[in-house]
Amino acid sequence: MTEFNTRDLVTILPELVFLGSIGAILIVDLFIKPSQRIVTHVLSILALAVTAGFVWSAAPAERVTAFGGMFVVDMIATTLKLAVLLTTALALVYGRHYMQERKLLVGEFYLLILFATLGMLLLVSAGNLVTAYLGLELLALSSYALVALNRDSAIAAEAAIKYFVLGALASGMLLYGMSMVYGATGTLDLARIVAATPDVQHPNLLAVGVVFIVVGVAFKLGAVPFHMWLPDVYHGAPTAVTTFIGSAPKLAAFGLAYRLLEDGLGGMSPHWSQMLAILAVLSLAVGNLFAIAQTNLKRMLAYSTISHVGFLLLGFVGATPAGYAAAMFYAVAYALTAVVAFGMIALLARAGFEADEIDDFKGLNQRSPWYAAVMATIMFSLAGVPPLFGFFAKLLVLKSAVDAGYLWLAIVAIVFAIVGLFYYLRVVKVMYFDDAIEGGTLVLPADRPLRWVLSVNGIALLGLGFASGPLFAWCNRAFGL
Amino acid sequence: MTFELVCFYVFAAVAAAAALAVISVRNPVVAALSLVLTFFSMACVWLLADAEFLAVALVLVYVGAVMVLFLFVVMMLDIELVPLRETASRFLPIGVAVAAVMLVEMLMLIGVRSLKVEPIADPAATAGLSNIEWLARSLFTDYLLPFEVAALILTVGLIAAVPLTLRHRVGVKKQNPSRQVQVRREDRLRIIKMAAETKQGESP
Amino acid sequence: MITLAHVLTLGAVLFCIAVAGIFINRKNVIVLLMCIELMLLAVNTNFVAFSRFLGDPAGQVFVFFILTVAAAEAAIGLAILVVLFRNRATIDVTDIDRLKG
Repeated sequence: MTEFNTRDLVTILPELVFLGSIGAILIVDLFIKPSQRIVTHVLSILALAVTAGFVWSAAPAERVTAFGGMFVVDMIATTLKLAVLLTTALALVYGRHYMQERKLLVGEFYLLILFATLGMLLLVSAGNLVTAYLGLELLALSSYALVALNRDSAIAAEAAIKYFVLGALASGMLLYGMSMVYGATGTLDLARIVAATPDVQHPNLLAVGVVFIVVGVAFKLGAVPFHMWLPDVYHGAPTAVTTFIGSAPKLAAFGLAYRLLEDGLGGMSPHWSQMLAILAVLSLAVGNLFAIAQTNLKRMLAYSTISHVGFLLLGFVGATPAGYAAAMFYAVAYALTAVVAFGMIALLARAGFEADEIDDFKGLNQRSPWYAAVMATIMFSLAGVPPLFGFFAKLLVLKSAVDAGYLWLAIVAIVFAIVGLFYYLRVVKVMYFDDAIEGGTLVLPADRPLRWVLSVNGIALLGLGFASGPLFAWCNRAFGL
Repeated sequence: MTFELVCFYVFAAVAAAAALAVISVRNPVVAALSLVLTFFSMACVWLLADAEFLAVALVLVYVGAVMVLFLFVVMMLDIELVPLRETASRFLPIGVAVAAVMLVEMLMLIGVRSLKVEPIADPAATAGLSNIEWLARSLFTDYLLPFEVAALILTVGLIAAVPLTLRHRVGVKKQNPSRQVQVRREDRLRIIKMAAETKQGESP
Repeated sequence: MITLAHVLTLGAVLFCIAVAGIFINRKNVIVLLMCIELMLLAVNTNFVAFSRFLGDPAGQVFVFFILTVAAAEAAIGLAILVVLFRNRATIDVTDIDRLKG
């Protein structure tokens, strides 16, 4: 039995500050008029920034646990939290104009995103199966509701119900696995599970548990064959919501996979690494091949996400710290690229015009050379063209897979990355070589922060490409390398 | 065979049969009621496993709240039963086959035969505590943080359900009880001072 | 006596019925949601059984949390269902096919 210790409150201070701010925003939002929603917007971004400040300044040099091992703060958690907070803030900036034009900019949009973010902060710090599950559900329940936020859209409701049913199914699988792991090891604490692994009485129970946990994690990541929900949800959700759920939760999913598979089931890595290798190959193949056939940009990006999940899993197959560091770098790079990719769609959208078909980008260069260049940078980064951010991320996970002895997997990944180049280049092609459907210059939203931040984010992909050395060194340090 | 084991078999059989009814009947109201029966029988199985608090919580939370919500929605949505009847059996053989194979595989993998362990003495009773006290000591010390997070999840459930279902329809005439209660005399009755009428020829 | 094997088998049976229900149910989303509740019940039964046979309260505490989350989950799921029904006037799974590709 653990006694309550006030030092534990200091360890979770960033989360407490964030929760306090959410409570304050919840109350402030009640008293403001819909036309003053900018107040909620600014307060939400401020809350994210202040929390990031606390996470940064309170970052311990080594692993610290609180509440008897429930909550773990280490450099991995700190890095993921900072990336999650940054990506969420970007998604809020990109989404405001889109939601406002559709009269969807309600207080709940902000509150649900903030609660989901809190869930992610807890999830990446989980030291116990219970904390991991509750953090995951806080994220998932908020996300289901966000997808359905546009009540008058039939496709949004359809996407939400698919997301809900498959998400709940995934939670069920994950929980069944957790129950088996608990039965085999007699504890829910991840550190104690890994300590008890070598001498469990019923190794079969543990093996069954691992299978179900891998299936649950694969569902949440969106790895093939558990990817069915992803294209529908990305397509059906309002673009501002897709911007959020397509970016930051990928970081949290990496955190979930790392905490459960390495922190908890590290002793079972020979079992799960082979399963992950199969999932990686399938995700790379299905993601890239299906993306070619898409005409809707949001759907195409969804299939591209699936292929990126395949790449992310390449970092896991070796079950080495170097691999995890590469996978974490990949997750951060992907989240920062995906958020601006969906942000571009939100930028071009107007009331009554979604701008989510690839044809809507035809001749963008004639109408706005600057945003065509930004979009081209994003597409090249997703495709992994040097010297952009995405290229270095791909290079590092491929290198880690080769080092772990999975040369065949790396070759498969390269082949499908080349296939993937085709559909990213198609977007670039329609922007530069096709004629615009409607002439004249582009009507851009008056939301100045949106245009500026998006431009900076797009161009940063180039800058981060050059700065990837120190960033990767940071990720390596997080894993003690 | 002890009395406990007989009880277990009876409740387990009822639970499994009711669960099969949930997935096979056509009328969603019957399915919901079968689910209630499943929960109830499982609560009895949990009682046999000395989990008294959870057994009562299962009945209160599920039968009392969640299933009522289900029934409420089923009746509110007014689903037509006739069109739902078609297209049912196409996936039936696959579904049954998958489930049967999965069950056999799971039981073999888990190694049920090797798990015929007898239960140890009830840990709560040996510590001289009731089941509730035994659970609460753990819940409010080791699991304090998750307990608070669970409260947040319930808050999210509340915040999320309201914007999805609350609708302010335009053109609907309705009463606002708050304004009715707050009404003041001045809102309803206006006393106007005016000169009294005078008869002709009379001086005021 | 009731052994661990008895309860685990019951849990596995319920779990498989739930999975079968999700597979064969092409009629009604509400029944799909009920299957998910059934699946959670199977998981909870496992936790209760392990908790009893290990003599450890953690399993029962986990069940307490799963019950809490399941209640919130049901509320949100049914709210989404109501939104869907208002838009489409159907909850037949085979009709929910606007999103494809």
